[in-house]
Amino acid sequence: MTPLTRLLRAAVLVCALVVGAQILPMTGARAEYPDRPITLVVPWAAGGGTDATARIIAALLERELGKPVNVVNRTGGSGVVGHTAIALAKPDGYTIGVITVEIGMMHWAGLTALDWRAFTPIALYNTDPAGLHVRADSSWRSVQDVLRAARARPGAHKASGTGQGGVWHLALAGMLRAGGAKVTAVPWVPSKGAAPGLQELVAGGVDIVTSSVAEADGLIRAGRVKPLAVMSADRLPSHPDVPTLLEAAGLPWEAYSWRGLAGPKGMSPRVQAKLVRAMERVYASPDFVRLMKKRGFGVAWAAGDDFADWMARSDRSLGKVMKALGLAR
Amino acid sequence: MEAFLAALALVFDPFVLGVMLLAAVFGLVVGAIPGVTATLATALLIPVTFFMEPTPAIAVIITTVTTAIFAGDIPGALLRIPGTPASAAYSDEAFALTRKGQAELALGVLLTSSVIGGLVGAVLLALFASSLAEVAFKFSSYEYFWLACLGLSTAVVISSGSAVKGLVSLLIGLFIATIGIDLMAGHPRFTFGSAELSGGVSFIPAMIGMFAVSEVLRFVTTTARGRADAPQQPLRRIFAGVAPVLWRYRLNLGRGGLLGAFTGILPGAGSDIAAWISYGVSKEFSAEQRKYGSGHPEGLVDAGASNNAGVAGAWAPALVFGVPGDSITAIVIGVFYMKGMNPGPTVFQQTPELINAVFISFFVANLMLLPLGYVAIRLSRRLLSAPPHTVMPIVLVFCVVGAFAINNSMFGVIVMLVMGLIAYVMEENGFPVAPTILGVVLGDLLEESFLASMIKSDGDFSGFFSRPIAAALGALTLLVWLSPLLRLWFRRRST
Amino acid sequence: MRLNDAVIGAFLLLFALAEIGYTATFPKLHGQPFGPDLFPILIGIGLGCCGVVLVVRGLQARARPFSIGASWITLGDWAANPRAVGNFIIVLATLAAHIPISEIIGFPLANISLLFVVLLRLETAWRPAAGLAIAVTVFIHVLFVKLLLVPLPSDPFHIFAPIDDLYAFLRGLIVNPS
Repeated sequence: MTPLTRLLRAAVLVCALVVGAQILPMTGARAEYPDRPITLVVPWAAGGGTDATARIIAALLERELGKPVNVVNRTGGSGVVGHTAIALAKPDGYTIGVITVEIGMMHWAGLTALDWRAFTPIALYNTDPAGLHVRADSSWRSVQDVLRAARARPGAHKASGTGQGGVWHLALAGMLRAGGAKVTAVPWVPSKGAAPGLQELVAGGVDIVTSSVAEADGLIRAGRVKPLAVMSADRLPSHPDVPTLLEAAGLPWEAYSWRGLAGPKGMSPRVQAKLVRAMERVYASPDFVRLMKKRGFGVAWAAGDDFADWMARSDRSLGKVMKALGLAR
Repeated sequence: MEAFLAALALVFDPFVLGVMLLAAVFGLVVGAIPGVTATLATALLIPVTFFMEPTPAIAVIITTVTTAIFAGDIPGALLRIPGTPASAAYSDEAFALTRKGQAELALGVLLTSSVIGGLVGAVLLALFASSLAEVAFKFSSYEYFWLACLGLSTAVVISSGSAVKGLVSLLIGLFIATIGIDLMAGHPRFTFGSAELSGGVSFIPAMIGMFAVSEVLRFVTTTARGRADAPQQPLRRIFAGVAPVLWRYRLNLGRGGLLGAFTGILPGAGSDIAAWISYGVSKEFSAEQRKYGSGHPEGLVDAGASNNAGVAGAWAPALVFGVPGDSITAIVIGVFYMKGMNPGPTVFQQTPELINAVFISFFVANLMLLPLGYVAIRLSRRLLSAPPHTVMPIVLVFCVVGAFAINNSMFGVIVMLVMGLIAYVMEENGFPVAPTILGVVLGDLLEESFLASMIKSDGDFSGFFSRPIAAALGALTLLVWLSPLLRLWFRRRST
Repeated sequence: MRLNDAVIGAFLLLFALAEIGYTATFPKLHGQPFGPDLFPILIGIGLGCCGVVLVVRGLQARARPFSIGASWITLGDWAANPRAVGNFIIVLATLAAHIPISEIIGFPLANISLLFVVLLRLETAWRPAAGLAIAVTVFIHVLFVKLLLVPLPSDPFHIFAPIDDLYAFLRGLIVNPS
């Protein structure tokens, strides 16, 4: 054998190996989805509420699908970075993500062109209504007291709970508008989230905090904060004594933060259906209900097109409030 | 007492101690690698804790965080590359000791003061959790503003050399902190349309760039082989000279521990800021101010104790009110709920043995840190004994992976590269880089607390002195800022 | 690379002016005299003032003929040494190109080859360099990809498949002892 043919043989062998290594996973891909690990993108930081729910879902989805589901945090830009990463991923079902209420807000604020249409909806699994909280020793005893004070002395009372234009800010603005006060009657003091906002409330820095009731739960039970109303259609099972906004003040305003599972636009209906079925079983599992309840997260269900309808409605109502606040561009 | 005994039995279980040992090793490894934060490590432990009983689940998290905070000191002292942001405040000082051939002393002091600081924090938490949490609720945006100002004055302390250059460095850091979507109006500042930049410059890649990449660049462009400035040291007798130093600075130990625990309780402050403030306070009140920066162990005692005490402090508001003190306790609260503990004042009545188990775990974790930290230091001697031309390329690839891991994107790597070049040019021209990191750390807190205060007081500056703690902190800050002038004035009068 | 203080000062001054100018595009908070532009403006003023001080100092230094700052720019002695310049470029190139290369040939292969090249360049002998490159890459793979679940670019050649199998086996022992 001449050196040349030996070299040629070696080259052919290497090529065959490389090509073989490339083809092997491809032939696998034609088999049943999923045949390799799935990445679950979370647009918010490790340690936050969205991250917590995502890790619960990932652990349970892994059990349903029989393949590892890895949580990857892509934070930044008020959620823009992570949502964009989900929308731009290859729609093969191996990159999915948790999308949140902010997808219906950031395009109004002019931060991105991305909206809910860029995703293949899988399922909505969580909603948390906004709660209206005041200090426990506050003289306000009802929603009407708050509205009266806001109308009588606009600008005198301050509120907090999230950043400027965040979902809880819009919840308060929507309530003020529905209650006949100007949306700017209670100036918003931006904070990095519900926890610092609640701390500011207890420290006497602000008078009102809107946030989910779960986020304030520790302080409510400690007798530091009192919830006056919850901005949802029904009372919360965890706090049955807190009235809805409709019951408390006759205001037809509801505000929720929500989280759902979605993939990039263009996923094949087969893969979408498989994921919807898996999520259905996750949602119905006692583990999911128990873990979500323990952590204080509300559960809700809307799959496929129903989820898309939910997102479209949420998008419209948030857009209205943001325009009223002058936050839309 | 009964609950305490029950808790002892819970923690001193072979399985629990076993997983704590594993967690300690995990924490030491991730803490020593720049770019892997304690928060990330904790988040990854969650699925593991799913399958555990409450006690091991909580003990694992406590142990990982406790050891990770110390481990960040090791590469800081040996290579001037801090492993965690909490070590960045004093890695220059520790490396100066290494350069003098006293790496053993630097690491010995840091390890023992970390352990003692951690124990101080654990005692404070166990005895005064409720009252500590109350302190947190005295802090509104005015108090946070003065706290941030106090932290900024550290910049003068940590920049040796030209004051103007230190100030420029600090301002660069503050500018970097303004990049991204601002919290007040939701407007993207200095992002030029980039979605990645709108998330801001996260300061872990910035820190890796400024400390590690600039160090690698400096090394490869030094024409002489080897680093004459960090002599080889065996790192064997780590505890040899420690006792006299700790005894001499025993008050610093207590002060660092207290300051750390108090800074830790404040949501939004935490261990990183605790280390900067303690180091600054240490120098401000030291009789030997001039020795700082040239390898003087006094500041290491304060700051080393402080950041470990801060870890325990953050648990107070989390346990008592369910309000997270930092991103790690935010995860911990979730674990509590899953394990049937409802954080809040009632937690002490409902699950007293678990609460006691938390305190005991802090104790055990800190005591474990002493021998394991020793082993880690012994193993790390290779960083000094191996030829630097072999170590530096390895540091380089760890930098890439660490910066990538922050957001799982190339963006972190780019930030690191740019900051590394900036830091290289800055150091060549006599600009200290530590104030830049300080500026990035404190920038957000400073701006947010200032603007929130102004919105609350409708633009009235007197608001900053309207509350007792705010007024006291404000007076202290002004005193620290004016003290050089006052000293000058007194000296003039006495001569 | 040492620059005369005046050069740095002038640069800072220009940067500060550009930065302050750019803040004019920021929106105001409704009803508030302070907005997102306040801090950038304050920082710009601070940088500008420091820039002026540095310019003055730099000009003074130039007036003294034999001081360090006498020339506008002093390149480090390494700039004359082609080897050091090469090292500098290789480090920057490794940082910039590591992830893009990994995305094509996968992280393990990219990391092994890049680390090997840099080690060789800095005069580690080729045997230890190869051993170290592989050992470090395996360590990073296990720690970051397996333990910390960092999605480093995946490897189309599956060269670490045996390690993955071993890891899965060990993990199985710990997680499901039954």
